[in-house]
Amino acid sequence: MLKKYFILLLVSTTLLFAVKKENIEPFMVEKVNSVLSILKNKELKKEEKSSKIISIMDPVFDYTLMARLSLGKEWNSLSSEKQKEFSFLFTEVLKKSYLNKLDLYTDQKVKFLGTQEPKKNRLVVNTTLIGEKDNFDIDYKFYQKTEDEWKIYDINLVGVSIIQTYRQQFAGFLKDKSFDELLKNLDTKK
Amino acid sequence: MRKLVVLFLMLTSICFAQEIEKDDFSNEFSTKTESFDPLSGYNRSMTSFNHYVYLNIVAPTAKGYAKVVPEVARTGISNFIDNITFPIRFVNNLLQLKFAYAFEELGRFTINSTFGLAGLMDPATKMDLEKRDEDFGQTLAFYGIGEGFHIVLPFFGPSNLRDSIGLVADGYISPLTDMSSYGYKIPNNTEKTVAIQAIKFVNHSSLNQGKYEAFTKDAIDLYSLLKDAYNQRREKEIKE
Repeated sequence: MLKKYFILLLVSTTLLFAVKKENIEPFMVEKVNSVLSILKNKELKKEEKSSKIISIMDPVFDYTLMARLSLGKEWNSLSSEKQKEFSFLFTEVLKKSYLNKLDLYTDQKVKFLGTQEPKKNRLVVNTTLIGEKDNFDIDYKFYQKTEDEWKIYDINLVGVSIIQTYRQQFAGFLKDKSFDELLKNLDTKK
Repeated sequence: MRKLVVLFLMLTSICFAQEIEKDDFSNEFSTKTESFDPLSGYNRSMTSFNHYVYLNIVAPTAKGYAKVVPEVARTGISNFIDNITFPIRFVNNLLQLKFAYAFEELGRFTINSTFGLAGLMDPATKMDLEKRDEDFGQTLAFYGIGEGFHIVLPFFGPSNLRDSIGLVADGYISPLTDMSSYGYKIPNNTEKTVAIQAIKFVNHSSLNQGKYEAFTKDAIDLYSLLKDAYNQRREKEIKE
């Protein structure tokens, strides 16, 4: 009896959090709009805004994958503890950087431009921030994690992939410094 | 026994899934640590110089300027500059055989120069005539010329051999330089050219306050970040 309930609970929670392919765009419309309304809310303090936004976006991001991709080949040579440590620090830095950038766009509108499927198991949601003078393209890149769950593994800002820029920087850093120095460096930025 | 089989199946499927995943992403991202960068020493110091100048001179100037000049006026100036540099975009669209875009640019120029009060306003965009940015660096790329090596220009920031040549070529056509003697040139000496470029730079920064700071704040390696972002962005612009 209890087992039945347990399974039911499991199934219902995964249904709640899993994003299916056909739902990705409406799902993102809803997420982005709620982020914008938090940003516009003048009654909230900065920290409250940050934690609310993070709680909205957290379930959609695959942080561990992002950490792995940003490190490239280096990832495989690490012990699992180091991988965990790096993932944790990278996630913190990424979140902070994301929030920093959001701060600039308070009064703007977001337009959804549609989706693309560059290949199997990938879906890109194209959006643009409408500014007074220029528009600012943001593309959310999803991959199929499991049968019916899609997650973000990268974001393009005006055509620039953030994972790619981290990857380039980490590779440059590790060319003449050690991995522990990289961890220390990330620790100062979180 | 059955449990063991299930366990085995689960393990293989997990391993297998991870294997696919890894292969899947490997060609989406690349690491170019050994790319040809003969000027890297100079480039790194120029990056620090530009960063310092931007944060300590340009950004505060732009902030003060934004307090004095209302946003409507600053947008107007920006529109005016965009409109008057129409020849660069027109010529480069033609050179890249993008005739529809060239025509669209011509339409924008006509409408904005007249109904848009000499380009201060941008009614063309509201009429769905889009700005089609093309420069000579992109034209060279269109004809298959590679980017050469990376060069960080003073004040202008990241560039490469091809785009620097492009910048000079576009300077010949641009009404905002004194680099040739076409009748439509506004400045007639170097000082005036520099002054106009400085106003353009400060005005642009005043409309984009905080963006550069937010982008570079969490940099692990500023030079790699700006270089890679520039390369990715150019790649996209060239494709369009």
